[in-house]
Amino acid sequence: MDIDEPTPTVYTLPIPQLPGPPPPAEPYALHRDAHTPLVLDNGSTTLRWGFATSAVPFTGLNAVAKYKERRTNKPLLLFGEAIDAESGAKSQTRTPWEGDVLLNFDALENALDYAFVHLGIDTPTVNHPVIMSERICTPLHSRALTSELMFELYNVPSLTYCVDGIMSFYANHLPPPTAPFTSDGLVLSFNTHSTSVIPILKGKGIMSHVQRIPWGAAQSSEYLLKLIQLKYPSFPTRVTSAQTNWMYRTFCSFTPSYPTLLKSLSNPKTLLAHERIIQFPFLLPLSEEKSPSELLRLAEKRKEQGKKLQELAAKSRADKLVQKEADLEYLLDLRGESELTGKMSRKEWAARLSAEGFETEAALEDTIKKLDVYVKKARKKEAGEVDEPMEEPSFPLVDVPDEDLDEEGLKEKKKQKLLKSGWEFRVRARKEKEREREEREREAKREEEERETDLAGWSSKMRKEQETLMAKIKDRARRKTALTDRKSAAAQARMKNIANLAADDRVPKKKRKGGGEDMFGADDADWQIYRKINITAPSDDEEDDLTTLHEIERKLLTYDPTFTPSHTHASLTSLSSALLTSFRPPYPDTDPAGHARIHLSTERFRVPETYFAPSMAGTDTAGLGEVIANVLARFPEHEKASLVSNIFLTGAPSQVGGLREKLEATLRPILDPEMRMGIVQAADAGLDAWRGMAAYARTPEFGVNGVSRAEYDEWGGERVKRWWGGNRTGSS
Amino acid sequence: MATMKVLAMPPKGSTKKKPGPSDGAATPQGPSLAEQLSYLHYPRPFKNPYYNKNVNRRAKNLKAVLGQERERDRVKREALRNSKAERAAQGVDGMDVEEEEEEPNYSSIEAPPSVLPQRHYCDITGLEAPYTDPATGLRYHDKSVYALIQSLSPGIVKDYLSARGVNSIVK
Repeated sequence: MDIDEPTPTVYTLPIPQLPGPPPPAEPYALHRDAHTPLVLDNGSTTLRWGFATSAVPFTGLNAVAKYKERRTNKPLLLFGEAIDAESGAKSQTRTPWEGDVLLNFDALENALDYAFVHLGIDTPTVNHPVIMSERICTPLHSRALTSELMFELYNVPSLTYCVDGIMSFYANHLPPPTAPFTSDGLVLSFNTHSTSVIPILKGKGIMSHVQRIPWGAAQSSEYLLKLIQLKYPSFPTRVTSAQTNWMYRTFCSFTPSYPTLLKSLSNPKTLLAHERIIQFPFLLPLSEEKSPSELLRLAEKRKEQGKKLQELAAKSRADKLVQKEADLEYLLDLRGESELTGKMSRKEWAARLSAEGFETEAALEDTIKKLDVYVKKARKKEAGEVDEPMEEPSFPLVDVPDEDLDEEGLKEKKKQKLLKSGWEFRVRARKEKEREREEREREAKREEEERETDLAGWSSKMRKEQETLMAKIKDRARRKTALTDRKSAAAQARMKNIANLAADDRVPKKKRKGGGEDMFGADDADWQIYRKINITAPSDDEEDDLTTLHEIERKLLTYDPTFTPSHTHASLTSLSSALLTSFRPPYPDTDPAGHARIHLSTERFRVPETYFAPSMAGTDTAGLGEVIANVLARFPEHEKASLVSNIFLTGAPSQVGGLREKLEATLRPILDPEMRMGIVQAADAGLDAWRGMAAYARTPEFGVNGVSRAEYDEWGGERVKRWWGGNRTGSS
Repeated sequence: MATMKVLAMPPKGSTKKKPGPSDGAATPQGPSLAEQLSYLHYPRPFKNPYYNKNVNRRAKNLKAVLGQERERDRVKREALRNSKAERAAQGVDGMDVEEEEEEPNYSSIEAPPSVLPQRHYCDITGLEAPYTDPATGLRYHDKSVYALIQSLSPGIVKDYLSARGVNSIVK
C-alpha cells in the first residue's frame, strides 16, 4: 500500500437522540371560530398537519404505540418519534399504513387525536374544513373508513381528498391568485412504498393513464439491509432499519450509466476509491493486564513451587536409596550367613532362600548385583560425578555348548542369549544413529558450501524443488476433489475397484476355464488397493510432503533475499483475489473496531438502480424508465412534448443524488431528438405536498370540491367529487 | 329556569398545549420521558362520544380489500357491458355516446412486468456477471468469486438467491 494514499474517512453512525416535546403550536384562540382549513398530509412515513395559514406543517412519524410501562404499570400512548423514548414500546408500534394502503384505523384515529390535541382543539367538534391527502387510486375501503372517521367521530364540516403528488406539483407551479391552474407536466411521485407516474395536462391529472411501481424507499432500504447482511454474515451488532435508512440516504446515489460504472468498478483500485466505510459501535475485549510487580510475584511463586517439588523428589529418592542400601546389607548378610555356616544343608538353604523370595541362588546373586549397581550409581550421582559409559557386559554361557550345562545352566544360557542379542541390537542402533547424524552433518555442510559459492544456483534448485512439491500437493488436492464428484473418472475407477474386490467371482471367466485361481494377496503390493479406495484416511505422504516443503521454504526464507513470505505455499494457497479483498477488506482477528465496520462500494449504486430495474431485487415489474415510456406512449405527440418539457420530481426519496442525471440519460434515447426535455425537482421534496394543499385551501374555490357533511350522509364514504387534484376512483 | 340540554361534552376550557408532567405531585421521582410524552390522558373533547365504532368490524387485510375492489370492478364492468349490449340491441347510435373509460383502480395502475431484456449481475459483488454456477445457480463475476461461491454453505446460497428473488424450495 502506498504511503501517499490518504487514509479513507470512516463515517460513524448518527447518535440517536432522545425524543423531546414537540414544538408548540400557535394558540388555538386564533382559529377557534375562524374555520381555518385544516391541512393533513397523511403520509406513509410521516404525518404532516397544520392550519392552512401556517407556512410549515408540524411533522411526526406516522406511528402509534400503546404500551403498558412495566415498572409502574401505567398505560402509555406514544406518537411518532416519542416511541423511541421507551424501548418496549417499539414492538407495539402500529402504523395506519400497511405498506401502500391505509388499513389500520385505530392507529389513524390515535394519530389524528395527537395532531388535534397538539393543535389545541378544544371544541366539541373539529370545526374546520379539512383537506386530506390520499394515495393515488386508493382502494375505496380506505377512503370509506377515513370518511367515516372524520365525519362521525370528529364531525368535520367538510372533507376534501387530494393526491399528494399533484398538490406538490401545484405548489411549485402556483398560478396567479385569480387564474385557474393550467400547468402541464409529468409528476414522478416517490413515496415510501411505491413510485407513481402521473401525467397532468391543463392542470388536470389524467388519472386513467397513471402507473405505479411497487418499489419505493422502504423496499430500497430493505434491499440494502439484505445486501449488507449477506456481505457481513457474522457482523457483531444488529443493523436496524433506521440505520439502513440513514445509510441509504447518505451514501447511495444514482449513476447515469450503470453498465459503464460496473465496468470501471471491476478494477479493484476504482472499487476502493468508491467505497464508504461506516464504523458501528463495538466492544473492546477486556484484557487482564498485570502490572510488572504482579508478574514478578507470579514468577517467583512459580519458581518456589518448582523448588518445593524438586526437594520432595530428592527426599523420596534419598529415602529409596536408604531403603535399598538396607536391603543390600540384609542380602549380603544373608549370603555371608550361608558362607559362614558353610555346611548348612541344601534343603535348609533352599528353604531359607524361598522364605526371602528367591528361587535359586543365582537369583539372589542377581538381585544383590542389581542393588549394588543401583546404590553405586546413586552415590556417584550425589557426588556429582559424570556417568561412566557402561562396560560391555559379558555373556560367558552363550558359547558353552548345550550338553555341558545342567537345567539351571540352560536357563541361564537362554537368558544370556536374549540379553546378548538385545545388547548387540542396542549397540548397532547407536552406531546407526551416529552414522545418520554424520551423514546429515555432511549434507548440511555440503549445502552450505554450495550456497556460499553459488547462491543463485542453490536458490534456483531449491525453488524448483518447492515448485515440484507444490505441484504434487495441488495434484493430490485435485484428485481428491475429483473423487467427490460422482461422475468423474477417478470416482468411477474407485467404484470399479470396490466392485472387483467385493465380487463373488474374482477371476474372469476365461482364466477360470483354464484353471486359474484368485491370486490376490500373493504379492504384498496387492493390499495397497485398500489404501487407495479408502479416501477418508489421511495419507502419510501428504504430511511428509508438507514438512519437506516447509523445510525448504524455511531455508529459502533465511538465505535467499529474493524469496519473500508471499512466495511460500501457505500464502499462495490462501491468496484471495485483489477484487474480493477490496470488495470486503478483511481485518485481523485482534481488531474489534475493524470487524464492526461496513464497507459499501457497489451497494451504493446497486440499490438505487433497482428503481430502474426492480427485477434485480426480485420484484417482477417494469422499471421507472420503462414505465415512463409506457405512460408517454399513450399520448399524442404534442401532448407528449408538453409533458416531457416539465418532468417534476417530488417526494422525499427523490432527494437521493444523481436522480435527475439518471432520468435524463434514460429518457433522452427514447424521445424524439427535437423534443425538449426538462427535469425539475420540487423545491422542498418532503413538505411541498402539504404546502400545495395549504395553498389550495387558501384559494376561493376550496370549498367546492369537497364532500360536505350532508353529502356524506347521502352518498356514503366512498363517493367524492371529481376534480383536478383528486382521485378518480369512486368519483362522479 | 333555563334547562341546559347537554348535546355534547361541554368545553373543558383551554387545556395546556405543552405536555407537562402528568402527576408530578404524587411520586417523589419525576415521571419518565415516555410518561411525559404520552398523551393518553389528555382530554379529547373533539371526539364524538356517541360514535360507536362497529366493534365487530375486524381490520381487513390488504388481500381482502383488494379482492373487494376487484369484485366491485368486475360487477361494474359487467353492468356496463350489459347496458352497451342493450343499447346496441335497441339500435341507438352508440357511437356518439362517450365511452366511459374503465376507471383506474389500485390494482389496474400497477406497472406490468418488464419486457426489456434483463442484465445479469453478480450475486456476490454486484458487478456484471457473464457466468452462472450450474450447481447453485448463482451468477458470478470472475473465477476468484467462483472460488468463493464454492466455499459457501447451502444456507447462505439460498439467502443470496432469495435476495435476487429466486425462491427454489426444492433444493
